[in-house]
Amino acid sequence: MKEIQKHSVLRLQASDFSYVIKRLSYYFRIWLMMSRNSFITYLQSRVGASIFLFAKTIRFFFFLGFLFYILKNTGNLAGYSLNQALFFFVTFNVVDVFAQFLFREVYRFRPLIISGGFDLVLVKPINALFRSLMGGADLYDLITLPPLIFGVFYLGSQLNPSLLDTFYYILLLINGLLIAAAFHIAVISLGIITLEIDNSIMIYRDILSLGRLPIDIYKEPLRGVLTYLIPVGIMISFPAKALMGLLTTTGIFLSFILGGVLIFSSLRFWNYALKQYTSASS
Amino acid sequence: MNKYLQVFKISFAQEFAYRVNFIMWRVRNVLQIFLVFFLWSTVFSDPNDIIFGYNRDKILTYVFGILIMKSLVLSSKVVDVSGEISRGDLTNYLLKPVNYFKYWLTRDLSSKALNLGFAVFEFLLLYLVLKPSLYFQTDIIQLAGFSIITLLAIFLFFVLLFIVSFVPFWAPELGWGAQFLIIVVATEFLSGGLFPLDILPSGIQGFLYLTPFPYLIFFPLQVFLGKVTGLALIKGILISISWSLILFYSMKRLWYKGLLVYRAEGR
Repeated sequence: MKEIQKHSVLRLQASDFSYVIKRLSYYFRIWLMMSRNSFITYLQSRVGASIFLFAKTIRFFFFLGFLFYILKNTGNLAGYSLNQALFFFVTFNVVDVFAQFLFREVYRFRPLIISGGFDLVLVKPINALFRSLMGGADLYDLITLPPLIFGVFYLGSQLNPSLLDTFYYILLLINGLLIAAAFHIAVISLGIITLEIDNSIMIYRDILSLGRLPIDIYKEPLRGVLTYLIPVGIMISFPAKALMGLLTTTGIFLSFILGGVLIFSSLRFWNYALKQYTSASS
Repeated sequence: MNKYLQVFKISFAQEFAYRVNFIMWRVRNVLQIFLVFFLWSTVFSDPNDIIFGYNRDKILTYVFGILIMKSLVLSSKVVDVSGEISRGDLTNYLLKPVNYFKYWLTRDLSSKALNLGFAVFEFLLLYLVLKPSLYFQTDIIQLAGFSIITLLAIFLFFVLLFIVSFVPFWAPELGWGAQFLIIVVATEFLSGGLFPLDILPSGIQGFLYLTPFPYLIFFPLQVFLGKVTGLALIKGILISISWSLILFYSMKRLWYKGLLVYRAEGR
């Protein structure tokens, strides 16, 4: 009898695992399809796309040049050398651009709610959150990612990190993206309740941009707020510090806990917001 | 004249129709100041340091000045013109007995009045929270020069924004790209909205002074800080006037050329 039970449990676990894989592959195929459609719309105006990419590149290099020039003259910024400060800046860009690449659809969420078009998302046989969050990957951000990753690799290698520090950096970067996902989920949830999306997402972007430089430049209580309350520090400064070997194991551990708590809370908030959706205008 | 007064009143009231929207926009302005303030505060951690020709008081005054100047110069309703041309909504105005430029200038002034009111309040709030040591100009001539150059900056940006907004006459899909490149990126960096331009190498400065951008934020603040006086001040005002005239003339020419190719698409 026990033997039969053991076999059925194993079978159940195996079927669970294969079910998860099937669902993941199902959603991955849907994401590829939605991204392909999104890219086609971006490519409708190639000249516009080129101008936009050019402007984004110029802005990146303007700020990089500005930082470079200041640090050349002052020697350091809050105790960080030129290479370290630049590394904070490129890490910020990787998190910011990667989040925008994945979650660009959030910026188009408001019209869906105002028009009641969100009804059509709800009736489709896919998760509504997945569709609202990742339904329109951004081609421009995808194009800017490889040079940024190269920049991280180049500047990071100048800091001579150990293998463990590099491992922590990658893990914390993924954790930073999870926190970014939590923020985006919170923003669209708030959008269902208040209809205000455009500004709340831009405020998130503005707060995140405070992480362009190490959070050590900010004074308390702002520094504390940016570390734990609106964890820009954990999203950007912590990974960079981990690569430099400046982060304790406790700090790393706390980052993951906070990442988990934020994702869990944002999902609860999304479920709550869905119950408030009135389908007005539809 | 009365009709533009009514436009002013309606435009002002319209801002209050979307109160949360407006307050959020102001919150964004304050957040953007934080990064610049703390960056410079860290660079000038020793109050006796003089770097790039600035001491701590003057650089922090510059940062606070950015908040006011952005509200005065860069807050503009003309950004909507580009969309109106590409959507064909311009037709509505062409049929009405209003001067399109006076209409937008009035809306601009209404927006600036509201933004300035909030900026002064934010200035006081940030002053109380951050407690920076600021430099206050007391010389009447400098203050008069600052007022003149600021008025010119407002006009200069109005005209510049209009020129960029005319792109959709010829390429309706490129309006937002052109605005992003010229207004968001170029203006943010080249006007001194992030850092004073005189910290840059002299070669780059020389090139920038050939463009209208430094006269939007950087030059007025230099006048306020007393770093530009006498003949240099008069020269700056004359250059700003020249740019205003050149761009105004170009705007008019482009407007008439644009109207000839305007097809009212979307209407």
